[in-house]
Amino acid sequence: MTPEPKSIEPARYVRFSGVQRFEHLLLLIAFLGLMLTGLPQKYAVQEWAKTLLHFLGGIESARILHRFFALLLMVEVILHVGAVGYRLFVLGKGASLLPRLRDGRDLVNWVRHNMGSKPERPAMPHYNFINKLDYWLTVIGTVILIITGYMLWNPVATTHLLPGDAVPTARVIHSEQALLMVILVVIWHGYNTLIRRFNGSIWTGKISRSAMVSDHGEALQQLENGTQAAVLSPEQIAQRRRLYVPMAVVITIVASVLLYAFVTFEKTAIPTIPRPEVAIFAPQIKAAEGDTNVGAVVWATVRCALCHGADAAGGQDGVPALRGTNLSFENFFQQVRIGSDKMPAFRAEELPDAYVLHLYTWLTTSSKP
Amino acid sequence: MSKPTNLHRSGLLLVIVGAAMLLWALTGLVIETHAAPMVPETPVLNADDAPQTLSNEYCMLCHAKPDRVWTLPNQDTLSLTIDPSVLEKSVHGSANPEGALACADCHVDYRFPHPVQTVRTAREFTLSRYASCRGCHEDEYRHNQDSVHGAALRSGRTEAAVCVDCHGAHDIQPPAEPRERISLTCGKCHGAIFEQYRSSVHGTALLAESNPDVPTCISCHGVHNIQNPTTPLFRVRSPELCAECHADQSLMAKYNISTQVFDSYLTDFHGSTVALFEQQDPEVPTNKAVCYDCHGVHDIQGVNRGEAQPIREKLLAVCQQCHPGAEPNFPDAWIGHYPVEGGVHPTLTAANGLYRLLVPVSIGILGLLIATDLFRRVRRLLGRDR
Repeated sequence: MTPEPKSIEPARYVRFSGVQRFEHLLLLIAFLGLMLTGLPQKYAVQEWAKTLLHFLGGIESARILHRFFALLLMVEVILHVGAVGYRLFVLGKGASLLPRLRDGRDLVNWVRHNMGSKPERPAMPHYNFINKLDYWLTVIGTVILIITGYMLWNPVATTHLLPGDAVPTARVIHSEQALLMVILVVIWHGYNTLIRRFNGSIWTGKISRSAMVSDHGEALQQLENGTQAAVLSPEQIAQRRRLYVPMAVVITIVASVLLYAFVTFEKTAIPTIPRPEVAIFAPQIKAAEGDTNVGAVVWATVRCALCHGADAAGGQDGVPALRGTNLSFENFFQQVRIGSDKMPAFRAEELPDAYVLHLYTWLTTSSKP
Repeated sequence: MSKPTNLHRSGLLLVIVGAAMLLWALTGLVIETHAAPMVPETPVLNADDAPQTLSNEYCMLCHAKPDRVWTLPNQDTLSLTIDPSVLEKSVHGSANPEGALACADCHVDYRFPHPVQTVRTAREFTLSRYASCRGCHEDEYRHNQDSVHGAALRSGRTEAAVCVDCHGAHDIQPPAEPRERISLTCGKCHGAIFEQYRSSVHGTALLAESNPDVPTCISCHGVHNIQNPTTPLFRVRSPELCAECHADQSLMAKYNISTQVFDSYLTDFHGSTVALFEQQDPEVPTNKAVCYDCHGVHDIQGVNRGEAQPIREKLLAVCQQCHPGAEPNFPDAWIGHYPVEGGVHPTLTAANGLYRLLVPVSIGILGLLIATDLFRRVRRLLGRDR
């Protein structure tokens, strides 16, 4: 039994290049930013989310920040494609992160070792199945989040091509995939790089021998036996670079234009909603048409019924019936406004012109109430 | 011959005119309104005769007489005739639980002779008098002062409503009896809005059926302390206003209307944003739709779920108010006020189902892998590792 060394030993083996470490930093910032501004949107009804949104300057501010970090993430995606291309086509390194059958075997052997049924741990390559899970779960998640993010950012453009359902569906996928990514990164990546064995190689670029023994046994063996893949000569690299760099520049420019289009493609909603203009103070508006319902209420509430009877059938002392009156509207209107020796005049402040029309309509068109 | 005849005629004319004037004066009909506009009521009675406490009978000696009109400097006229039966039938008549009011209860400063009026228009007269109500109705008076009407008045909008504009002066009736009276009262000044309201789903039910549940103006705007309904605060709070009735199950059951409208709104993009604004930044304007942006403000019409096609087209026009570029597919992005159903939203339901499976399965698999590593460590700690 050889206990793993507890003391911190000097990290000796190169694990990550400067570009890779920079990429990871960008990704980390974008991820934390998106998580911090995205989760409270997903859980907006929860108190903690409200507190967080308040600190972020409110929901609209959180949305803008979320888009800023999304932009950062997409810049990192472009950078990553360029960097991977450089490693593959210029440096001539193998696509060592592609999942292979041996990763499945490694996983099974790793579990068997953990369970005690296999004494030695599997000797794993530079990128083992743990790293590949990290990488591909992140890549798949990011692609899904960018696509659905685009749909949510540009719902009008989305529904130009797709059924309307696509937008709420994108919302569900974006929200759930984001949650899934947070969980995976926190429990899988977090456990493996911070808890299982603290591994600072993404910051320093170097990894200790014990970590190599534990997690990348095969790579260590190859290093010590000198059986790594052949490295290209500086001349070969320079020649390939001359070909690759112009292509990469063109691809980056195209990608940046696409990114710019993504961000500025549509203005989903207008800034303020114009309310239809309605005059607030309009005491003498013209009614579009007479309304018997209003007329009936006017009759009952503006003292008409006191003298002319509740159903306008006439009252005491020869007060005339007005139900089905023969008066023209003009004459009726005059009578209401000017009054007579027995009938009080009703001023426009008390009985607007429109109400007189409603009243007249009720008296002349509706049957007995 | 002609001379004495002329004299005779002139004398006769003088006598007739004199007699007519005497008769006029005796019946108290001479009101020097045009000559002395500052003194509206001619003192036909001797000031020494005025009793210490003015009785209604005393006031009515003048004010019961018909056709008493005061012409103000700007030629506005005000009738000074009071029909005692109108006052009696008002809320301040004998039906008043506090007892019938006397003229002097409101016209407290109107000893005789009346104070000299300096107002120039009928409106100025009203504005100089309406504080009379305050003596008994202090709270309502203060609320009105704090309202949009009070603010408008202070800013110089003399037409802004004061007590008597809504309630009347001498013929005050119970303001909410019948309920329809309320909206008619507001409609006197807010005619354009009343014209929209009367044919809305709420207005029709109120005016045609005397429906006791639909909102009148004051249900949403309040009574005396009416606040400005165009502020961001009013806007973000408005969904709760609608929810007071539309989330009330017993009330909505009567009309077979879904009560999920409010909750479904809150889970939507628009609703959740508006709710956050209401809680955190109520004074900050937001462009996210509230109930009335889609359903209308005063001209709200019922939504009949049965006719799918016309509603779809109507909805697109509604969406385009804020999303000018929206195309026919766009309204479907709004899930609606009903729970998500597989038949109606297949992709949405599938996505929900997929992640309901994917999230726990992913956590489970990775958790299990981590558990095996922890298992090894525990064994080693206990010294059982080979």
